[in-house]
Amino acid sequence: MRATTRTAYGFLTPYLLIFAAFWVWPIIYSFYLSFLSTRVQPWTFNPTFNWGRLIIDPAFFNAFKNTMIILVIQVPVMIALATLLAVLLNSHLLKARGIMRFAFFAPVVVGEVAYAAVFRLMFQADFGVINKLLALVGVAPISWSSNPTAAMALIITAVTWRWVGYNAIIILSGLQSIPEDVYEAATLDKVSKTRQFFFITLPLLRPIILVCVVLSVIGTMQLFAEPFLITNRGGPGGATETLGLFLYRQGFTVLNFGYASAVAYTIAAIAIVISVINFWLGRDPK
Amino acid sequence: MSGVTLSNVQKRFGAVEVIHGVDLTVDDGEFVVFVGPSGCGKSTLLRMIAGLEDISGGEISIGGTTVNDVEPADRGIAMVFQSYALYPHMTVEQNLSFGLRMNGKPRDDIARRVTKAASILQIEPLLARRPKQLSGGQRQRVAIGRAIVREPDVFLFDEPLSNLDAELRVQMRVEIARLHKELGTTMIYVTHDQTEAMTLADKIVVLRDGRVEQVGAPLDLYDDPANRFVAGFVGSPRMNFMAAKVVDTTPGSVTIETDNHGSARLTLPVRQAFQTGDAVTLGIRPEHFGGPDGDGTRLTVNVDVAEHLGATSFVYANMATGEQLIIEREQSRSEMGKTELTITIPPARAYLFDSAGDRIR
Amino acid sequence: MRSKSQTTLLRTVGLHAVLVPLALIWLFPIWMMIVFSTQPENAIFSSNLVLLPSDQFANNFALLQADTGFLRTVFVSIVVATVYTVVSVFLTSMAGWALARYNFAGKGVVLAIILGTLTLPYFVVVIPQFIMVARDFGLGNTWFALIVPPLFNSLGVLFMRQSFSMMPGELFDAARVEGVKEWQIFLRVALPMARPTIAALCIILFLASWNNYLWPLLINNRPDMMTAPVALGSLIGLTRVSWGGIMTGAVVLTLPMLFAFVVLQRHFVAGIAAGAIK
Ligand SMILES: Nc1ncnc2c1ncn2[C@@H]1O[C@H](COP(=O)(O)OP(=O)(O)O)[C@@H](O)[C@H]1O
Ligand SMILES: [Mg+2]
Repeated sequence: MRATTRTAYGFLTPYLLIFAAFWVWPIIYSFYLSFLSTRVQPWTFNPTFNWGRLIIDPAFFNAFKNTMIILVIQVPVMIALATLLAVLLNSHLLKARGIMRFAFFAPVVVGEVAYAAVFRLMFQADFGVINKLLALVGVAPISWSSNPTAAMALIITAVTWRWVGYNAIIILSGLQSIPEDVYEAATLDKVSKTRQFFFITLPLLRPIILVCVVLSVIGTMQLFAEPFLITNRGGPGGATETLGLFLYRQGFTVLNFGYASAVAYTIAAIAIVISVINFWLGRDPK
Repeated sequence: MSGVTLSNVQKRFGAVEVIHGVDLTVDDGEFVVFVGPSGCGKSTLLRMIAGLEDISGGEISIGGTTVNDVEPADRGIAMVFQSYALYPHMTVEQNLSFGLRMNGKPRDDIARRVTKAASILQIEPLLARRPKQLSGGQRQRVAIGRAIVREPDVFLFDEPLSNLDAELRVQMRVEIARLHKELGTTMIYVTHDQTEAMTLADKIVVLRDGRVEQVGAPLDLYDDPANRFVAGFVGSPRMNFMAAKVVDTTPGSVTIETDNHGSARLTLPVRQAFQTGDAVTLGIRPEHFGGPDGDGTRLTVNVDVAEHLGATSFVYANMATGEQLIIEREQSRSEMGKTELTITIPPARAYLFDSAGDRIR
Repeated sequence: MRSKSQTTLLRTVGLHAVLVPLALIWLFPIWMMIVFSTQPENAIFSSNLVLLPSDQFANNFALLQADTGFLRTVFVSIVVATVYTVVSVFLTSMAGWALARYNFAGKGVVLAIILGTLTLPYFVVVIPQFIMVARDFGLGNTWFALIVPPLFNSLGVLFMRQSFSMMPGELFDAARVEGVKEWQIFLRVALPMARPTIAALCIILFLASWNNYLWPLLINNRPDMMTAPVALGSLIGLTRVSWGGIMTGAVVLTLPMLFAFVVLQRHFVAGIAAGAIK
């Protein structure tokens, strides 16, 4: 073995051991598990057991449907808002820039449990501060925990609050890599600010927005803590049950690891398919 | 102290061979400059001598010992890099002493070497600074100082002056020449700048596409280039080349006629035999043209542009075929504004090259 | 036509008319977290609109401590996040260094596997991880279980690799010529030069570990080895639990991170941006 190869593996080995043990091997193992019947000991090989159940399981389809609803509404709204925020926060007319950025970026450091607790309390039906504020403008109290639509709206609101700043940071860093003189040239050519946004900023940001979309899709596919904690384990009556929560139940409440693995691979497959479609739709037209 | 010998040295990056069998001897204490256009393999060759690149074929020896499998640190070399390669997070003093410290040299020995190097380069006042706080020239000195503290048998320089502005470059060039005189150590110096090569070298190695084109003392290369490439590379402004045809031959001489510039004829002594009609290239340096009443073949050219620098002027004459002549003229005030210029080519200063670019003697 | 300064003024007003209300909305949940944590239980669950803090933080925290032994869980969280961060920075920067600066047999394969599996959802591995650690190794409720499996994270490797590969190679060659050993070059030259990147990486890793919920939730069920988020999460949804107490827990988890964010905003932002772009 060449000396550099030896040296390189000297540096790599500690990480590679962990990576192999806790990432690569589980990926393989999980795939294998999805073909096992794990309802009762001993586990037996039965390729159609989990996958056959998956395609007819109404609980799975409920979770799938809910996840897709969140995905289709939440991701576009959040990315649009994040883009808008990034552009506004990047404006040189902005006063108190530090405080403004702090307001939107702060949720990024707030943990899932902490923010889930606050949202649950704020959106409490009887004494929650949100319903009290709504009452001030004449809106009747909304039962966030027992109305399926309201519960779904609550999840979408919470996730958007938590993640919009994260995406805005990424988009902002993309914005800041656009050279100022591009805009100066456009201004000299009498291109309005609005047109500059649509014809210069957005096209240049496309790759980075695409990355945000894909990251958000993968995140949404794994949504777990919010429905688990805010809407009380996917309530009301499974209305906010997500794929992530469904997997958690199958794997760690029922301990049906094989079925949970099949669900995990389904989540991965859907995430990959959606990401590929995104990259395909957002590819450079050239 | 020791010399360096390369025999049939080759380098391949994957399937691409970039050094094609180089043979070279560098004598003890000699200042050798590798010169050639960018990408010709100068750095690669130097890095193989340093041990930073594996040798794909052939053998390199330093001080009589084959070093193909010897670690860079054990080859008795020190290297100065184009980007200076100073450690940005260390002071100048730490930069100078880092290698020695890492190799567990005794403290007082390190201090002695650092002090000595700092005084040779006059950087004592800078020892506590960081590279960021230094000017380009000062950084360059520190980089050289870091090589000196190793007290090497051979210094290797990879384009050390190319990041400096023109004035500093001249200044540092003189310093490096002084350093060589003071230390008397073998130095191998890489540059793409022929002026640096001419002024610094005891011996120049002209490289092209991974091959040695010619090795020799600076003035020998200037006077007696082996081929058209070397002739064009050494000397500034570069040698003029004119397409020409053989119109007459006698044993021991040949008469040629240029394609452009009014079909000027010229008879030159050569040993090689030719046939009428053979295509050749005539070469003459800008500074070797004679005035209208000089010896040799007269030639009248149309002036495109003339640059008057004071003591000398450069006259540019372009042909529709793309051939360009640069003519250096002295005391040329009287020629200002002229659109035509008559000059002469002294046969003793003319070079002939065959269609492959080799020198015809 | 409007003059230039009028246009600028209008723009400035418009910009703030949009941003200021939005910023207030975004700050509202964090503000309410603080308000709730300082209000007595009967104020939280009264029909009055309560928007300002009171002085009951200590009482509420005492209730939380009684419910879960929260201080112990905070201690576990601090230890886990700190050890995880230090170990992960070392592992990933070593690997990033190798991938950035050496050409070696198998490099392409290693990189391809890391990049290729990067976007796979964590859920794909969590079940086998759980089976291995909890069942096969019998290591549930241990420091090992909390710290080691999450070290697989490859973002740091790519992050560090990027940083190392942007450094000029001549610097390391210079050290090599001087006889500095490879591990010394890594420790004494490369790592100090990567300090800003490492700072950003530390912040991202610490935050991820500090807020990590799913894995500690799965692998620990003994109160003395619970991390703070898991302990706090276990209270949510229980009846007869002090919500003021839960909010003090949320504040304890959040405020230090917010403070760090304010002080180290530049590194946070750099870390997040680089993490996404790779
Ligand atoms: N690490 C490498 N991998 C592949 N090709 C290389 C490498 N280093 C240099 N080369 C190639 O080798 C040739 C010589 O390069 P170099 O020695 O740097 O030239 P010079 O220093 O004369 O400008 C160039 O064509 C360059 O592209
Ligand atoms: Mg070079």
